[in-house]
Amino acid sequence: MSRPVLTVCAPVPGRARSLVDVPDPVFAAALVGPGVAVDPERGPLTARAPVSGRLATLRPHAYVVISDDERGVLVHLGIDTVQLAGAGFELLAAQGDRVVAGGPVIGWDAARIEAGGRSPVCPVVALDAAPEAVSRLAADGVVPAGTELFEWR
Amino acid sequence: MVERSVTVPPGVGLHARPASLLVQAAAGASISVTVARPDGDPVNARSILALLGLDVRGGERVVLRADGPGAEETLDRIARVVTAMPPADG
Repeated sequence: MSRPVLTVCAPVPGRARSLVDVPDPVFAAALVGPGVAVDPERGPLTARAPVSGRLATLRPHAYVVISDDERGVLVHLGIDTVQLAGAGFELLAAQGDRVVAGGPVIGWDAARIEAGGRSPVCPVVALDAAPEAVSRLAADGVVPAGTELFEWR
Repeated sequence: MVERSVTVPPGVGLHARPASLLVQAAAGASISVTVARPDGDPVNARSILALLGLDVRGGERVVLRADGPGAEETLDRIARVVTAMPPADG
């Protein structure tokens, strides 16, 4: 019996991009896992939960939501943003919280990240997924927040 | 069971990029490898989800464990990967 398809949604509004276009060799080679990136709208944004589940890991610049069937999705806000040590990121939820897809997690400003010399592109990654388990739904193009980004079988 | 205790370099946390390096190293082994905090439950080193959940920060120790043929060499190799991880600012 196969498990249901998990639909992963855009955590921020912007444009969908292939992971290979992410300016970080580890994300671009899908070494963190398969997925899709979002090039966010520039300006203050709320980063949201890509799936419903438990906010298992929460850092100012990245979070993991584990779905009810134990699949983890990583949202990483910008590249090399771990270096900021939280500056410019506001936590809107707490680690361990139950979240629904689309629920607020972090407030941040993609324009500010870019002004600081870092890419604001956000990889959205299916952790531990086989590459063939992920099929992209959003073509390159505008994705409002909450739009379906990819399916995880 | 073979064990190695290794300290994650200061300035490196087991966040996405270094965790994926560890996963890659473990995936290349023919035996299973676990990672744990010194007093914690071991997690599968091939699972990036599990490694991120450990929330290991720079300067903290982790215990690597493996069993079977080549366990010593495998853990030596993975320990080197951990100690060679570049800091986030680097």
